[in-house]
Amino acid sequence: MHANTEQPLPRQEQPILRVRDLHAQYRTSPFGVGRGVKAVDGVSFAVRRGEVYGLAGESSSGKTTLIKSIAGAIRPPLEIVGGSVEFAFLPGYGGLQRAPRADVARIRWRNLSYIMQGSMSVLNPVRRVGSAFVDFAYPHIGGSRKQFERQVIAHLERVRLDASVLAAFPHELSGGMRQRATLALATICRPDFIIADEPTTALDVVVQKEVLGMMRGIQRETGSSVLFVTHDMGVHAHVTDRLAIMYAGRLVEEAATARIFRKPLHPYTRHLISSLPRIGDDAPREGLGGSPPNLADPPSGCRFHPRCPLATEICRREVPAMLEADDGHRVACFAVDQGGRA
Amino acid sequence: MNDLLLDISEVSKSFVRGGLLSRQKIAAVNQVSFQLAARRPEILAIIGESGSGKTTLARMILNLETPTSGKLVLDGIDLAGISGSAGRMAFMRKVQPIFQNPFESFNPLKRLDRYLFMTRRRFSGAAGEPAAEAVVDDALHKVGLSLREVRDRYPHELSGGQLQRVAIARAMLAQPKLIVADEPVSMIDASLRISIVNLFRRLRDDLGISIVYVTHDLATAYYISDRIMIMQKGRVVESGDARAVLKAPQHPYTRQLRDAVLLPEVADAAPDPSLSINELISPGAPERRP
Repeated sequence: MHANTEQPLPRQEQPILRVRDLHAQYRTSPFGVGRGVKAVDGVSFAVRRGEVYGLAGESSSGKTTLIKSIAGAIRPPLEIVGGSVEFAFLPGYGGLQRAPRADVARIRWRNLSYIMQGSMSVLNPVRRVGSAFVDFAYPHIGGSRKQFERQVIAHLERVRLDASVLAAFPHELSGGMRQRATLALATICRPDFIIADEPTTALDVVVQKEVLGMMRGIQRETGSSVLFVTHDMGVHAHVTDRLAIMYAGRLVEEAATARIFRKPLHPYTRHLISSLPRIGDDAPREGLGGSPPNLADPPSGCRFHPRCPLATEICRREVPAMLEADDGHRVACFAVDQGGRA
Repeated sequence: MNDLLLDISEVSKSFVRGGLLSRQKIAAVNQVSFQLAARRPEILAIIGESGSGKTTLARMILNLETPTSGKLVLDGIDLAGISGSAGRMAFMRKVQPIFQNPFESFNPLKRLDRYLFMTRRRFSGAAGEPAAEAVVDDALHKVGLSLREVRDRYPHELSGGQLQRVAIARAMLAQPKLIVADEPVSMIDASLRISIVNLFRRLRDDLGISIVYVTHDLATAYYISDRIMIMQKGRVVESGDARAVLKAPQHPYTRQLRDAVLLPEVADAAPDPSLSINELISPGAPERRP
């Protein structure tokens, strides 16, 4: 319905993913009393082609629910109550969960792939790594088995793994090797879109940097778009092009990553960035008072207001809209509206 | 009065893996020695990747693991000689643990205040009810909570950050000389992490508690610790003043670790997106701020 009112953009500039006013909630009914936990509450954003879009937020800020909604992994008690999720390669359904199964099977791995935190849960523990490649990628790539194997081995070289890992069982590989194998698995079909959910959180720092470097290299080469979710701001600074900050089910700020780090506008983002300890910097850091909001009973108005140093009357009553403060820099804060930015 | 709070000399711990045919000995901790002075409370960070033996070392200090060889002495008590519940109690009065996952450190079926009152009763004598409440409330206030918030609550009713603060308050109640904290902030949200880390600093400065801070996070280690010890494959490869070690690391492994830290900073010439996202974000054209 919005498509009619918009001017057509050239293909390159059309976003690969467009999320519009998405609302998702967990509905439970303990003892017959219906209760909805609004884990995603009115989130809108777009991811461009060839871009790494970062999503940062604390635990229980709704980032996982948002990814689930985007990936179409909707199982009760989770339900989508409003809004739409549209991929450029699967238009017209308003979300993967509404698309026919055959269409979803066609785009999975070919257009849309995933890198998850626990590589063990992607790779079947009782089957060899090579069989995962056959299961996931062979139907999309086709050709002879010999040819496919050559392609897989060539692709594994990009993540500096040799062909012997194909014959190994997942438990025989180290955590870093496994995560590199899942990275190869997710990128072998050159997908348009990759959802990366804390892909390096479980890895040691040295290995993490290596895996992130490989990921960025492959992404540049294939031109895939990536939705990169992690709570680690250091990782975001290192890999993402644009960054959105999520707090209590809503986006509070979005801008080019460099901009978020240099000139954060939202009080929450400002605190998040200034509180990060840095080696070589001895200045004391202040903690944020209060505790993260309970999504079953979120604060009224702006959900950050109970912890916000700039909160005024209006913040308690009304929900700030996500408005553009500067070129490409969106923020949802009344204080910023009134020129209260630093 | 002992000069040394903690004296660890050439401690090793090895685990045996495999069965009859493929026995493999793994040296988790290999010939580690260090001391903590009794007079000057300090925060010692033990840094290492997974498998470096840092947690095994922490567990040996807590007497949860017996060393294969070497000697640990805590404030005059030889850990190898602890026996009987009275001996264990005397030991636990001096050293208290804080674990990584606060949801695992508390029994989900037990109310949180019971932990606090039990610790209070065991380690500071059975005072009357009002006095005990005042002491528990005071400890909770030091960590930014109050007895009112914690009383009659079960662990699932609190957030991870709150629970970890309850765990710290509980450890404080025993009035220990040493706290061993194994990755205490890695499960904590970013906005609360720095509060917990600041709390450790206050424990050191205000209460004179020494802290062994086990972590893989170099940035927080730099931020709070006085001394630092880098472990690799069970061995200490570098140790010394935290600032000196992290600013000018000598050992190649320390350098490698430090260079792998992803700084929360951006390089200068970052491309600014020329495309206005105005059109991309619908519904409706967003208003532009004046």
